[in-house]
Amino acid sequence: MIRFEGAGKRHPDGTVAVEGLDLEVPTGRITVLVGPSGCGKTTLLRMVNRMVEPTSGRVLLDGTDVAKLEPAKLRRGIGYVIQQAGLFPHRKVIDNIATVPYLLGWDRKKARARAAELLELVGLAPETAKRYPFQLSGGQQQRVGVARALAADPPVLLMDEPFSAVDPVVRAGLQEELLRLQSELHKTVLFVTHDIEEAVRLGDQVVVLREHGRIAQLADPHTLLTTPADDGVAAFLGRDRGLRGLGLRPARAVELRPVSDGLTYGGWELALDDERRPIGWIDRDAVTAELHAAAGFRPDTDTLRTALDAAVLSASGVAVALDADGRATGTASREAVLAALRPEADRTGGAADSDVADSGEADSADEPDRASQADGADGG
Amino acid sequence: MNWLNWLSDFFTAPDHRSGPDSILHRVSEHLLLSGEALLYAALLAVPLGLLIGYTGRGVTVVTAFAGAARALPTLGLVTLAVLLAGVGDTAVLVPLVALAAPPLLVAAVEGVRGTDPDVRDAARGIGLTHPQVLRQVCLPSAAPTLLAGFRTATVQVIATATVAAYVGLGGLGRYVIDGLATRKYAVTVGGALLVVLLAVAAQLFFALLARFALPPGMRAQRRAR
Repeated sequence: MIRFEGAGKRHPDGTVAVEGLDLEVPTGRITVLVGPSGCGKTTLLRMVNRMVEPTSGRVLLDGTDVAKLEPAKLRRGIGYVIQQAGLFPHRKVIDNIATVPYLLGWDRKKARARAAELLELVGLAPETAKRYPFQLSGGQQQRVGVARALAADPPVLLMDEPFSAVDPVVRAGLQEELLRLQSELHKTVLFVTHDIEEAVRLGDQVVVLREHGRIAQLADPHTLLTTPADDGVAAFLGRDRGLRGLGLRPARAVELRPVSDGLTYGGWELALDDERRPIGWIDRDAVTAELHAAAGFRPDTDTLRTALDAAVLSASGVAVALDADGRATGTASREAVLAALRPEADRTGGAADSDVADSGEADSADEPDRASQADGADGG
Repeated sequence: MNWLNWLSDFFTAPDHRSGPDSILHRVSEHLLLSGEALLYAALLAVPLGLLIGYTGRGVTVVTAFAGAARALPTLGLVTLAVLLAGVGDTAVLVPLVALAAPPLLVAAVEGVRGTDPDVRDAARGIGLTHPQVLRQVCLPSAAPTLLAGFRTATVQVIATATVAAYVGLGGLGRYVIDGLATRKYAVTVGGALLVVLLAVAAQLFFALLARFALPPGMRAQRRAR
């Protein structure tokens, strides 16, 4: 666990970067610091590995004041990923990844074997090992950056806007990858971003910061989106908060109508192929048997947002629930999807843990689900 | 074609084929002297330059000093050195080192300062100590610039090492000065030509070194720029 105790930073010229922050970063979770530029989020992150020394207060790592630890040694035990990856241009990818193991005195063979493992873990082809950083795309470089940070298996990972410099499509892929990794590795992650979308997507807990590192709100992403602390936070969250919040809730909370109950919905009938895959909706009142769009979602991996989207896109207003092979397993109307938003529906769906309002427990129930979401997208 | 005859005279003269005044001997004297001067200059300027470039302290002073040093008249320095140290290797080495050190110093400073700040930050952040950052990150990054500095310094030193003859020492300057003194202009021209050839060879050597000895990541970066 990382604990900030009144940690502040005043520059020699008198300007205040961070006034004095109290914050706990729980073990094994992703905590996101988010805020406009100049809110001191990077300064706070860099206090943890002593790249910045606080001028007041202190930062504790598992109970030890980091100021008491030797900087280089401390840093070798903390993964560090920055925006431009910061790879060594003169070293091959494999040796870039093995940097910290080399520093720790591992022999070359062992360090390289470990680096090769990590290359695979972050989803890069084995032949990437022999390349030089300039031969990689921005997204690939960032993956190498993450692999390098994980090489010595540090329990703590500091990520300073790691995905900000890549295009949105690559960024989404990297975010999914991070969630997948986290579901396997359970690192204590402190993640800095200015992108609120990224914050609610990745964070188990999101810390919205104002200027001088003052906390505007600290909450899990769902609470943040549904109940912002004030107008400032609401404005920072931006439009469509409610809809975006749906993206954080599992679609398995939706109560499905089994396919065995028949395939008609009002004036519409769902047409399936031999494999029971949906082909489209047929308007039963129409003269011609024209097929209308049938959109589907996967209750096991998708979110309510996808489910609602499918219902909206379907001509009949009914979303089709699909299994991994694309076969229809049930249907859900728009009303049925929205019904899943009622608090009690959450429970019957088994998404959140009974009446534990405390964010800690609710988060842990959230976690494996979002991880499987990432898996699903990875396979597809 | 008078000068062609001069040249063939120069290259075929028996004195120039063997013995203390032979071309081979003079060239090796010249190269040894130049090499020695470059070695001292490098030992002096490179570590200092790396340190200044890394810390960023004293960069303005170095730049000003290096600019001023270029204006130093080598012949004047030789005379001064002879007056202070007497005739000998030192008298020639001092001005040659003074000539070679500024470009090396500037190259080392600029090379280190040219290291990508993100790379330096990442290196520190993952646990390299300052000496490790300097050696493992900044030095490779400075290598192309440093090599260019060595090229400049080497060419200048080879061209200027002719002054050794001015204080009675060997090297290719012997031909130039003796030729002038004895009005054997063929010898002067021949000596000058050899100096030019050596300088060109040095250029070539460093170009090849930059092409093949630099870390591949650095080579490609240079090409891309």
